[in-house]
Amino acid sequence: MNATRGPERQLEEATLSSGPSENRGGTTVAGRSPAQLTWLRLRRDRTAVISGVTLVVLLVIALAAPLIEWMYGIGPQDQFQHALDRYGMPVGPGGGVSGEHWFGLEPGLGRDIFIRMTAGMRTSLLIAFAAATITSALGVVAGTLAGYVGGWLDSVIGWFIDVALALPFLIFALAVVPTVSLRFYGPREAVPAGFQVAVIIGIFAVFGWAGTARLVRGQVVSLREREFVDAARVSGAGLGHILFRELLPNLWAPILVSFSLALPAYITAEAALSFLGIGVLEPIPDLGRMIERSLGYLQTDPAYVFFPGITIFVVVFAFNLFGDALRDALDPRSTR
Amino acid sequence: MRPRTTLAAVGALLLITSSSGCSQDSQSSSATGTNVMTIPTQTGVIAANPGDSQGPAAEVPDATNGGTITIIRESKISHLDPPRVYSFAALMNAPLYSRFLTTWKDDGKGDLTLVGDLATTPGTNVNGDCRVWEYTIKDGLEFEDGQPITSKEIAYGIARSFDPDLTSGPTYLQEWLSGTPQYDTAWDFKANKTSLPPGLTTPDAKTLRFQFADPHCDLPFAASLPTSAPVPADKDTGVDYDTKPVSSGPYKITENTPGVQLVLERNANWDPATDPVRHQYPDKFVWTFGPDPDAAASRVIADNGPDQSAVAWNGVPASLVAKVAADPALQERTLLSPTPSANRLTINTQRVTDLSVRQALNYAIDRDGLVKALGGETVASPTTTLMPPGTLGYRQYDAYPAGPNGNIDKAKELLAGRTPELVLGAADDSSGQEVATQLKANLEKAGFTITVKSIPADSKLDETKKKDNPWDLYVDSWAADWPSGAAILPVLFDGRTIRADGNSNSSFVNSDAVNAEFDRILALDPDQQTSEWAAVDEQIMTELAPAVPLYVDVADNIHGSKAGGLFISGIFGSPAFVNAYVKQ
Amino acid sequence: MGRFLLRRSFSALLTLLAVSVLTFLMFFVLPRDPVTGMCPKNCNPERLERVRQELGLSDPKVEQYLGYIKGIFVGRDLGSAQGGYCDAPCLGYSYVNNEPVSATITRVLPVTISIVVPAAILWLSLGIGLGMVSAVHRGTWLDRAAIGFALTGASLQLYFVGGVLLLAFTYHWGIAPVPHYTPFLDNPVDWAGGLVLAWVALALLFSAIYARLSRAQMLETLSEDFIRTARAKGVPRSQVYGRHALRAAITPLVTIAGLDIGAALGGTVITEITFGLQGLGRTAVDAVRSGDLPTIMATVLVAAFFIVTANLVVDLLYAAIDPRVRLK
Repeated sequence: MNATRGPERQLEEATLSSGPSENRGGTTVAGRSPAQLTWLRLRRDRTAVISGVTLVVLLVIALAAPLIEWMYGIGPQDQFQHALDRYGMPVGPGGGVSGEHWFGLEPGLGRDIFIRMTAGMRTSLLIAFAAATITSALGVVAGTLAGYVGGWLDSVIGWFIDVALALPFLIFALAVVPTVSLRFYGPREAVPAGFQVAVIIGIFAVFGWAGTARLVRGQVVSLREREFVDAARVSGAGLGHILFRELLPNLWAPILVSFSLALPAYITAEAALSFLGIGVLEPIPDLGRMIERSLGYLQTDPAYVFFPGITIFVVVFAFNLFGDALRDALDPRSTR
Repeated sequence: MRPRTTLAAVGALLLITSSSGCSQDSQSSSATGTNVMTIPTQTGVIAANPGDSQGPAAEVPDATNGGTITIIRESKISHLDPPRVYSFAALMNAPLYSRFLTTWKDDGKGDLTLVGDLATTPGTNVNGDCRVWEYTIKDGLEFEDGQPITSKEIAYGIARSFDPDLTSGPTYLQEWLSGTPQYDTAWDFKANKTSLPPGLTTPDAKTLRFQFADPHCDLPFAASLPTSAPVPADKDTGVDYDTKPVSSGPYKITENTPGVQLVLERNANWDPATDPVRHQYPDKFVWTFGPDPDAAASRVIADNGPDQSAVAWNGVPASLVAKVAADPALQERTLLSPTPSANRLTINTQRVTDLSVRQALNYAIDRDGLVKALGGETVASPTTTLMPPGTLGYRQYDAYPAGPNGNIDKAKELLAGRTPELVLGAADDSSGQEVATQLKANLEKAGFTITVKSIPADSKLDETKKKDNPWDLYVDSWAADWPSGAAILPVLFDGRTIRADGNSNSSFVNSDAVNAEFDRILALDPDQQTSEWAAVDEQIMTELAPAVPLYVDVADNIHGSKAGGLFISGIFGSPAFVNAYVKQ
Repeated sequence: MGRFLLRRSFSALLTLLAVSVLTFLMFFVLPRDPVTGMCPKNCNPERLERVRQELGLSDPKVEQYLGYIKGIFVGRDLGSAQGGYCDAPCLGYSYVNNEPVSATITRVLPVTISIVVPAAILWLSLGIGLGMVSAVHRGTWLDRAAIGFALTGASLQLYFVGGVLLLAFTYHWGIAPVPHYTPFLDNPVDWAGGLVLAWVALALLFSAIYARLSRAQMLETLSEDFIRTARAKGVPRSQVYGRHALRAAITPLVTIAGLDIGAALGGTVITEITFGLQGLGRTAVDAVRSGDLPTIMATVLVAAFFIVTANLVVDLLYAAIDPRVRLK
């Protein structure tokens, strides 16, 4: 990784264009922080712009889902079984695509695919962002402590990381997720969507922090031997200062990249949980569950597979592209 | 001598007439003029003519010898050991390698006859009181190794079914012989391997005798289950016998890799002249385990190579139904038949105590919508009765005419402005969830407030069978072990059987009037019983409304172009292999 | 070095023990009582209770756990319903599958290994190859195409890709045989044919990570001084890239690959379900769904064993290469 060069490079650029504007032969040169430099590089990268804009659009759609529903006029639970034939298949081309149902109808229950996808995307993005944020936060804290303090704390945290990574995620999720709600809600109470979502975020958190922690620990370990940290320590800086003012600023690049790559991973993971039947349950709309059910209809109603499949692909692809572009932008040496 | 014994004295056997109200076809109630589904009515008889029990079985037209039939199934067959056989796959597999005291002759179109298999007749009711039954064993019967099969081996087979280690099978013979559900404490098989359980005797090598404390007129039916299969005592390996039982049928087990495949090959020591039902056309049967229903159906549809003589056990999934139905070539290779598996929305009458609410549920139900949600008419067929069509003596009725899409107005009228809050317990697998979603939306139109509570799919059955379960509604399924009302209505609706858990009466109804009716009918001659069950079916619905009858499972299985002689069993609603052959 | 190995091995063992305890605890979160599965229709609660006693399910949890662990090291007696005495390593008896669990594992483990190892070779070759091409032709359309291809693969969903591959190559065109497992020694061609679609699907998805990684590593290495020196000295380009650059770039790749393969061996659930192959992952899922504790324990322990071993090997590699690591 580039952490060995990061601070020096920043030092270089700082000396070239330091602090307040300096007249050099008539032109004003403004000082730029690493963040501003990253932003400039991103803006210049066409791939980053396209994927970034796509993501913003998708985010807006997801956030505005209730508004869209109000405008579209059909809710995610509304059924139109009269438009299904005797085998439960939607009548009409493209799986029932029409002016009223932009993406057609689901076979069997006859619900509108477009509005369910919009709502499903909302759930997926919410879970992905929350899970990525929490695991990054937990991972950074654990990794930094382990890496910097070292000794027994490192061993203990390291061991926890090992155990968390050794446990098979899907198996445990399969065992735990369906039963957690039974412990919090009575046998006659409905489990609200919020709780189901929280459970999924929770299980991602329990398993996901370990990867980030390990990554951050590695970074911190190589950083703490560096001269500027030694200098801070020698001049009497406290642990807090070293952690937040010396180490963390040099870590934000890999953390940010890790976060941006975690997002599509969590979208995929949530879809995988739904594929196994332990994601959010009916009737809450969910992209993963929709894809899983639609796969069986690949031969008889391909449109039903196409719409959610393409959507989730676009979302994940956009995140991956943006994450890649972000990494390139953060690292000045891998220039195009 | 009591009048009834004249019949027995002649040696002719009980005749259950098929005529009582059974002769017309009943259409599925979604009367959209479809030609997909006409439910052939089962006409079932216990054979009166001893000739029916004799072999050889009638030749299947155009059948040729040779070839391999492949059966593709997702999960492995749970048990091969005859007294442990109870799942549909195990029950359809057993006749290949095992013979029983009695068995069903099934023409695949609804005509069923119970005949003697190892026995010369379906059973002699010695005193006419259904307490003492006698069977004469045929000559010339052999195991796969040439050892003869006599009444001793059959009795041993029944005796070892008392071993508590041999779990999972039906328990009729054990409970009836010992007189208690705790049969394994009443008689300890392991301590008494050389003797026989109480009531079971073998006066000589060709005679088998059952003596019960209580009358059991259904013994001929119960004897058709694999518990009555013969087992050689010197080859009995206890729990391990499950991997390779000794064959008494036309095929023997040659290879058993659990979860992967099961291979059966010809048994040279099976004598077709003694067998009224089975054939031995193919060289081999191979069960292949693993592919899910989509994969299995897809490859059989593709019809490549060995798949041409294959059959997909798990049926055409809802997602592929449209493709199969649209293609006449595929239609020809499809077995389509209703099954005896009836599904109902059980109402927990301990919680939903108001009859008018239960009746309102019956009026509100949209069966057409539910069938669509399940995948259409080739997956489910709507029904309004508690017994499935196909039960002996079945009579169609509709106690609460809801029309194909429900009679919301009538339901609302019955509710008179109330909005009862009901909790529907649903399995958390995808089909359970979809059915629950459909039902919730449907019933809420009539004013009900439905809360769907998800129950882990594997434990749902056990949980709803508990007396103190917390739900108001749950979807239940029941397939009788033989097509008599006696194996359905008293089991599901007799309140005296209610206990802490393990209840089949999951409506928890207990009506003295209905219980008395059950007692009265069970004491009748089997031939008089059939029409009575149909009457009591309607009585239960009208007086108690303990459930909303929903639909009957439809078997929709596809096979390859070279597989012939396959049909759907009228007893268990699954593909039967006794007439199978490979077109050369 | 020896002390380092000892320390890490001890830690690995502790990890496995912790995994076994957690799995055991997790099982008791499951609401399903496995014994009732033996009793499909006419169930008798009293008899079930007796069966439960015989299977030891009524014993206190700690006792059950210790009995299981003892069985792994020494073997134990399981009672007549479960096939009598079970030799070490005794993984218990599955009353769902009706066979000793060690027999189940012996049967399903080769399937998972046959899926993962060739797929890993494929995705590593494809990924590193694409990454190298991108790095060497940095900035050109080739670079963009290679990375674009890799990213597309990484953005697809495995069950989606699997479904489409099956539909196209198996059912529609009939080129690939229906996915199934034949032991390699029985028929190598059939073995490969039955698994090739799974390999392709996995390779499409996982090559991206390695493409990106190897590209980044290569680029970093290529700008190092020693490369400039080699080029200045006139070393042919193929040697520059092959011998010098690749060797430096490969180490972190190999370590991550090791961890990935270890994790993959631990659970290829989605692959196995999509392609209908009965491997370790599928067996584990079925076991959880039916509440089959001995099988759950065994599959989880085997999976964890692979991950822990892979971690150990990777740590050893790091320690061998970078002396600083050993000193911590």
